[in-house]
Amino acid sequence: MSWIATVDAGTPLEAVLNHRPDLAARYRAFYRSIFTDGLVPRRTLELCRLRIAAIHDCAAEAVVRDTAVSLGEAELAALQAGACDGFSSAERAALALAELIPFAHHSISDAQMAAVRDDLGDAGCVALVTALAFFDVSCRMRLTLDIDAEPAHLSNPPLRHGALV
Amino acid sequence: MSTNPRVSSAIADQPASFATVMSHTPNLIGKFFDLYAHFWQRGIVADVLKEMTRLRNARITDCGY
Repeated sequence: MSWIATVDAGTPLEAVLNHRPDLAARYRAFYRSIFTDGLVPRRTLELCRLRIAAIHDCAAEAVVRDTAVSLGEAELAALQAGACDGFSSAERAALALAELIPFAHHSISDAQMAAVRDDLGDAGCVALVTALAFFDVSCRMRLTLDIDAEPAHLSNPPLRHGALV
Repeated sequence: MSTNPRVSSAIADQPASFATVMSHTPNLIGKFFDLYAHFWQRGIVADVLKEMTRLRNARITDCGY
């Protein structure tokens, strides 16, 4: 349980964030648009989110899954280990950025960015980098606030019944 | 890390900057600015504390922006 007192809410994350409900509402709307804008494939987002969760060793993030993306045990193990050779070239390009965003963002090369731009275009590239940055933020918030890990399979990520998971 | 913008401006005749690059995703950046403006303008944390932590974070992440 978080060391911050919780308020009545639908998920452990919202039980903390809803101390500031207006701010939480804006964060929810922004974070939701990462998944709904359609500029980056849902599978790519899921792979990157889970890889960043593994880098941070963030259980609360790792137990959340997008039901639109069916990942096998071998794929999940690969993400946990950072052994991403088995994914498509476009997915590997995105995962290469995900690998560096949490603790080595200065090491992202022009070539790595170009590979993502070639696949997703300018809008998709901007959307992916924003998503990666906020997957990182999500892990940092969960870990810092000590948010409970609550397994969730979401058809409408990152929400369950309108609440941030 | 590159010293040149890696994504072009989305706005004709304007140089690449945080705002013009992010404008490739108008829905996303619109919601981000709504969130960020609320954080800065309506928050309960003192402005001086937010500014100090913002600048410290910029130093730690070596972000000249």
